[in-house]
Amino acid sequence: MALATSSIAGESGLLMKLTVYRDALAENVNHVMKAVSPRTTIPILTGIKLEATPEGLTLTGSDSDVSIQAFIPLEEDGVQKIEIHQPGSIVLIARYFADIVKKLPNDQVDIEVDSRFVTRIRSGQAEFSLNGLDAEEYPRLPVIRADNVVPIRKDLLKQVIRQTVYAVSTSETRPVLTGANWAIKNGRLTCVATDSHRLAKRVVAVDVDPAVEYKNVVIPGKSLNELGKILDDNGNDWVDIAITSNQILFKTDNIQFFSRLLEGNYPETDGLIPRDAKTEIILNTKEFLQAIDRASLLAREERNNVVKLKTFEAEKRVEIISQSPEIGRVYESVPVIDHSGEEMRISFSSKYMMDALTRIDAEEIKVTFTGAMKPFLIRPLDDDNILMLILPIRTN
Amino acid sequence: MNGRIIFHIDMNSFYASVEAVHHPEWRGKPLAIAGKVEERRGIVVTASYEARAKGVKAPMPVWEARRRCPELIVKTPDFELYREASRQLFSLLKTYTPLVEKVSIDEGYMDATELARRVHPLRLAEDIQKRLLDELELPSSIGIAPNKFLAKMASDMKKPLGITVLRKRDVPKKLWPLPIADMHGVGAKTAEKLTAIGIRTIGDLAAADKAQIAALLGQYGEMLHERANGRDARPVDPEAEAVFKSISQSTTLPEDIVSEEEARRVFQRLAVRLSERLKKKRSVAYQAAITIRYANWQTTSHGKTVHQPLQSPQELAAIAVRLFAEHWDGRPIRLLGISVQSLEDAARATKQLDLFTYQTDAKEEPLLEAIQRLEAKYGAPVVQKGVARGQAAFKKAQADGARTPPPSPRPKQSRHEHSESEAEERPDSENESHA
Repeated sequence: MALATSSIAGESGLLMKLTVYRDALAENVNHVMKAVSPRTTIPILTGIKLEATPEGLTLTGSDSDVSIQAFIPLEEDGVQKIEIHQPGSIVLIARYFADIVKKLPNDQVDIEVDSRFVTRIRSGQAEFSLNGLDAEEYPRLPVIRADNVVPIRKDLLKQVIRQTVYAVSTSETRPVLTGANWAIKNGRLTCVATDSHRLAKRVVAVDVDPAVEYKNVVIPGKSLNELGKILDDNGNDWVDIAITSNQILFKTDNIQFFSRLLEGNYPETDGLIPRDAKTEIILNTKEFLQAIDRASLLAREERNNVVKLKTFEAEKRVEIISQSPEIGRVYESVPVIDHSGEEMRISFSSKYMMDALTRIDAEEIKVTFTGAMKPFLIRPLDDDNILMLILPIRTN
Repeated sequence: MNGRIIFHIDMNSFYASVEAVHHPEWRGKPLAIAGKVEERRGIVVTASYEARAKGVKAPMPVWEARRRCPELIVKTPDFELYREASRQLFSLLKTYTPLVEKVSIDEGYMDATELARRVHPLRLAEDIQKRLLDELELPSSIGIAPNKFLAKMASDMKKPLGITVLRKRDVPKKLWPLPIADMHGVGAKTAEKLTAIGIRTIGDLAAADKAQIAALLGQYGEMLHERANGRDARPVDPEAEAVFKSISQSTTLPEDIVSEEEARRVFQRLAVRLSERLKKKRSVAYQAAITIRYANWQTTSHGKTVHQPLQSPQELAAIAVRLFAEHWDGRPIRLLGISVQSLEDAARATKQLDLFTYQTDAKEEPLLEAIQRLEAKYGAPVVQKGVARGQAAFKKAQADGARTPPPSPRPKQSRHEHSESEAEERPDSENESHA
């Protein structure tokens, strides 16, 4: 290995040398840090890999489930970001490197790595020496060879994540439910997440050949949450998605986000969503949300956050009640815009209701009940592409 | 909370004392209450003071107790009797004040602060103790202190028939010299950990650095440190009983078992019995725990708190099997048990329905709707969903040819002869105690 590295080293005897703008470095280190886990069993994965090529600098972080690669090009929008003096690579312990970069005093940072992997980071009058690790030891990222690339608008992808991932399960009792189930068919992407107590479903159009079909693509909820944080509002508006049997890749201009897929068959949920309606009410989302929020003040978490709802057809209103024998009682009447079908009495978790209402992004919603012991649906008034489902609570 | 006066009333060898009430001929003789005497799981649960004098103590196998005290009278427990005595005991205490907190079948706290304005606490304690002895023929020890912890420690200081006052100012002289293992709340494991850092007495703990104890034992350690210093702000809570009450069901196995499959079958059997007892109490549980006793008598417990109420045999067995799979270390097992805690009235319990199973629950909907209609019409709850009362026991009794259906949900003795050595160890299986 010593021979190999010295042959890579340039005339200066350095393995790598570059000058980079601190803010660009800090931003991208922050991105790849999202994949680095302090509790990894593979020691080298506590590090971030830096790889300098004549085109720019690539940073990589990974916990073997999620890997993130961020690229800093020589210049972006006509602004120079980095200068590569000597191409090469190194792995630096992520925790220290990230903190150092954040606190450097000057706009510019010089990084050079000697043949013993000692890395000097200089900015203004500050100079750090970090012991690096051989980049050859860093695992290779999965090679994604997908037949089709699925492009999706970045803001739409962020919305899909926000509207579904909250409903994934956090319990390992049924591991496949800790992921969101994606399927592509007829040019439409369907995303479903459920922890078996509530379910969120969102359908969006994607720009692919209608013949392209994927199913049972189960992406860990954790991965999607991290992805949602990284997708910024800069640069190109599109994200390319490539799917293989066990990996998914999200690719923007300068970021590649890899995630392992969950094994196992995601349960069939379509058949469990009620089609008929016994009662349907139309409500102002904000008014309803605020009333539920107030009622939840007395709903105890350890007892399912129960709130009760009663509908009154003639009076066009619903009553929301929550009580705790130890604490007290709350009662509120909320007007409904419309009430059709039988009057309904049902109990549900205020938390699940608030989770759904804060993400539905609609001014008015229709809530469809089929019985006090059956799932009920919350949908925007004229949009069938989003559906929130909640299982009621049985009270005696 | 200044100047509270708290009593801790602790019955002396309660089961043995109750037995002696019903068998006057046993008074003054060595008596032990033990599980099924003829089988190997016979373990002494309680011994009378006469038996204790001969070296008999709980938990000791019956054969060993007999070796130490050949004239020992051994009686299998009759929990119905003890529960009845316990009811009488607490209703007697409540004639003084409603501020009585039942801790277990044979001990409780009483907040005597108000009472003490009229009667001297010592006179009051003497009166209580005398009435328990005269009216129920049961001996007790009473601790009097400014808080629950000190009261509990005080009642332990003089037995039987003691009354001990432990004032805050007595703490250095009376409490601090006691070995750490004698402190209420310090179990064998905690004592071991404390001893390892040089804490041998309660005084050592009181003087120790609180942060160090917290680092060693967490929040629990901070609490122990407070108590060692004589501080304990917990009120006497007459409602506390329901929360801390636990029901457990366990069985010593006729032969040690070594497979998960066998354990699963045992848990399923235990879960059926436990579920019946929960239903009889019209309760659901929010905590479950399993006990594993290994062939070498090492015993471990592992618990879990759940959000959805537990009551059905399936729910109880599932959680027990899961806990077992997580915690069994593979060694041969002698005893298995399931216990539930955090009980709540089933009528108040709620269940978050599940997308994949709601159809089962939905089948009950027409019934619930009918009940709701009746309630709407007549106001107060007029009907409740029925519970199957001790069905398994009922079938069993029929199979056994018992003449008196419906039977008590606790099976008759004859059950043991017929069922494949069902082998419930009564002392464990009927244990209703606080956590």
